[in-house]
Amino acid sequence: MNRAITNFDQKMLGSIHNYSLELLNDTGIRFPNENAREIFREHGFRTDGEMVFFKEKDIRMALNTVPSSFTIKARNPAKDIQIGGDNYMMAPGYGPPFIIEPSGEKRNALLDDVHKFCKLVQTSQYLDFNSSIIVQPTEVPQETAHLDILLATLLMTDKPIMGSSSSGIAAKDSLKLAELVWGNTDEPVMISLVDSLSPLQYAAEMVDSLMVFAEAGQPVIVHSSCSLGSTGPITIAGSLVISNATTLAGICLAQLINPGTPIVYGLGGSPTEMKTGGYVNASPEDAKHTAIVTALGRYYNIPCRSQGALTESFCLDYQAGMESAMMLTTAALSGANLSLHACGTYGSMLGMSYEKFIADEDLCGAIKKLMQPVEFTDDAFSMDMIKELGTSGNYLMEMHTLKRCRSEFFMPELSIRTIHNKWLEMEPRDITERAAGILAKRFAEYEKPEIDPDIEKHLVQYVNTRKGL
Amino acid sequence: MPETKGDLTMAVKDIAEAVAVFDRVKVVELVEAEIAAKTEIDEILNAGLIDAMDIVGKRFSSGELFVPEMLMAAKAMKAGLEVLKPHLSAGAVAAKGTVVIGTVKGDLHDIGKNLVALMMEGAGLEVVDLGVDIDAEKFVKAAVEHNAGVVALSALLTTTMPTMEIIVAAIKEAGIAVKTIVGGAPVTEAFADQIGADGFSTDAPGAVELTRKLLST
Ligand code: B1M
Repeated sequence: MNRAITNFDQKMLGSIHNYSLELLNDTGIRFPNENAREIFREHGFRTDGEMVFFKEKDIRMALNTVPSSFTIKARNPAKDIQIGGDNYMMAPGYGPPFIIEPSGEKRNALLDDVHKFCKLVQTSQYLDFNSSIIVQPTEVPQETAHLDILLATLLMTDKPIMGSSSSGIAAKDSLKLAELVWGNTDEPVMISLVDSLSPLQYAAEMVDSLMVFAEAGQPVIVHSSCSLGSTGPITIAGSLVISNATTLAGICLAQLINPGTPIVYGLGGSPTEMKTGGYVNASPEDAKHTAIVTALGRYYNIPCRSQGALTESFCLDYQAGMESAMMLTTAALSGANLSLHACGTYGSMLGMSYEKFIADEDLCGAIKKLMQPVEFTDDAFSMDMIKELGTSGNYLMEMHTLKRCRSEFFMPELSIRTIHNKWLEMEPRDITERAAGILAKRFAEYEKPEIDPDIEKHLVQYVNTRKGL
Repeated sequence: MPETKGDLTMAVKDIAEAVAVFDRVKVVELVEAEIAAKTEIDEILNAGLIDAMDIVGKRFSSGELFVPEMLMAAKAMKAGLEVLKPHLSAGAVAAKGTVVIGTVKGDLHDIGKNLVALMMEGAGLEVVDLGVDIDAEKFVKAAVEHNAGVVALSALLTTTMPTMEIIVAAIKEAGIAVKTIVGGAPVTEAFADQIGADGFSTDAPGAVELTRKLLST
């Protein structure tokens, strides 16, 4: 088979790897961070100014110490997540500074929105962990906004959290808060996103946070992504080599600091909109990257990340559904281990929407169902029943059907499955208005998960002290 | 005489045509030929190079031209301008105005900023691009050093937007006669007003238009 998203044989993956090694050795990666370069130099790496150069054996050694799977603890142990293998974990939107209202209007995201989305994450059947920037609250002091979000995810949900990587200080704050909850950070209790800066470099602050997390042995998603045609070549192959080389360099640093630091391998690539120069990230090219990153993840035997249910649209229209489904289905079927942005994002990740969140949950649920292996047990084959009923059977009357009628099929919350005249009479009929109804129910059913009052007090105290309150 | 003038204009129009199809070599050749033929320098500049970029700008805005094509046209126009520069009366280029542009401190997003800078250059403005992660002091220093008419600030992170306010304030405090404009995906008109910036644009063509307007007032 030579379908476009499955034609990655070992030879092709090997050539991406080899070209990446060539770049790492000849061109190098820029680390504008003296501490990081010091670590590289101590390990015998060649540096020149801010550039660091890597040999094949350095990369091989680093890859050897990366675990192929690991567990991230949740505040509620029943909600721990396993990253790697066949598992696929989903987190909601990451980073949008705006809320897109059903009217289409855009407004600044607020801390209250962070809180509301935490309620949705906690009550979600399908989301497995939190985002560290579910939205960026704009009205609070920006240098401590990460603390407000971390506190909310820790108190309002009991699912695993993401650490804040916006600076070394933010990373340390994440660890401090986790220590207050778990007593220590000896095991993975969060995961954080470290983005490189295409082409072939890292930002100093990102490196700071990478180093803090690696020292603590906390998992890091090391992600590189080119805007095809602006921060990288317009071709997928060329951009892939840049991103792979840069990600490998970041992984290498983490492993030098603390061999065995859990890593999620990430690379992406999004077309530059050639008519405007804008950023497009719900495209077949993005989806192809998702397929390739999973193949490379397997090649390196490292868990891998993909983008989620992304769209360029700003409302619940055909485009939003089509693009979100293409992106998330590709991730799931090609074997991604985790996706950020699985729920709620509009318009190139710049806007978050409550109604889209609800719609995306249906998509997440459908995809999780799609991924489940078909059951081939005796009870599922149900041979006795089939023989007994022969050609005259009405399976609706059978116990076998009754026992499974509530669990066998995926049941969407928002999507309709009805006949035309019922649909016509539906009140409200509009999908966005129906999503609003589900939202109201979800907010009403939310219950704050239990937490030791002492721990809660200390968390709040820490955040208040850091905010100078 | 009218006939000759007509011919000359035709030849100058060829320059515009070469710019529009981003033929850098031809633009340089034609500009050199026009200078040798003693065509008025202002005419080569305005009817040849600047008009061409106006056409290119319009074609870009209507979606007919793609970004790389528009940028190549700008490059061709700049090549022509370089040839012309020694012949321009002192200050003729500077009169169009110098723009100091950069992404603010703490922010490394530069794709949008680069696009804005390139389009400004394409429109014949003198652009000093300071790069990314630029603090108030550097903006003020560059504005003074280059006698800038406009300082253009880009930010893509909500966490770095407050820095725009600091920079705008620092520029005002420095007492230099320069206008400030801001932009970037999370920046809004309301925010621009709130921090006392002189202008805001959602996109690169808008930023060019805005800058031209601010420079002519
Ligand atoms: C002066 O006058 C003017 C006038 C108009 C001006 C102007 C100035 N400047 C721009 N304009 C306007 O004209 C341009 C052309 O029309 C337009 O410019 P734009 O820049 O908007 O448009 C460009 C042409 C294309 N757009 C872009 O290039 C930005 C696209 C998105 C996806 C984006 C990218 C590509 C990147 N990122 Co970043 N990134 C996102 C962006 C989401 C988005 N859709 O915007 C955003 C902005 N990033 C975000 C984040 C969180 C981050 N990013 C980070 C890193 C990166 C990359 C390095 C991976 C890469 C940047 C590469 C580069 N060299 O620039 C990190 C921060 C690094 C840092 N310190 O700066 C990091 C913190 C992620 C992390 N944990 O690592 C989010 C911001 C959250 C917030 N609001 O605070 C974000 C919305 C994505 C998201 N949902 O997470 C207009 O805005």
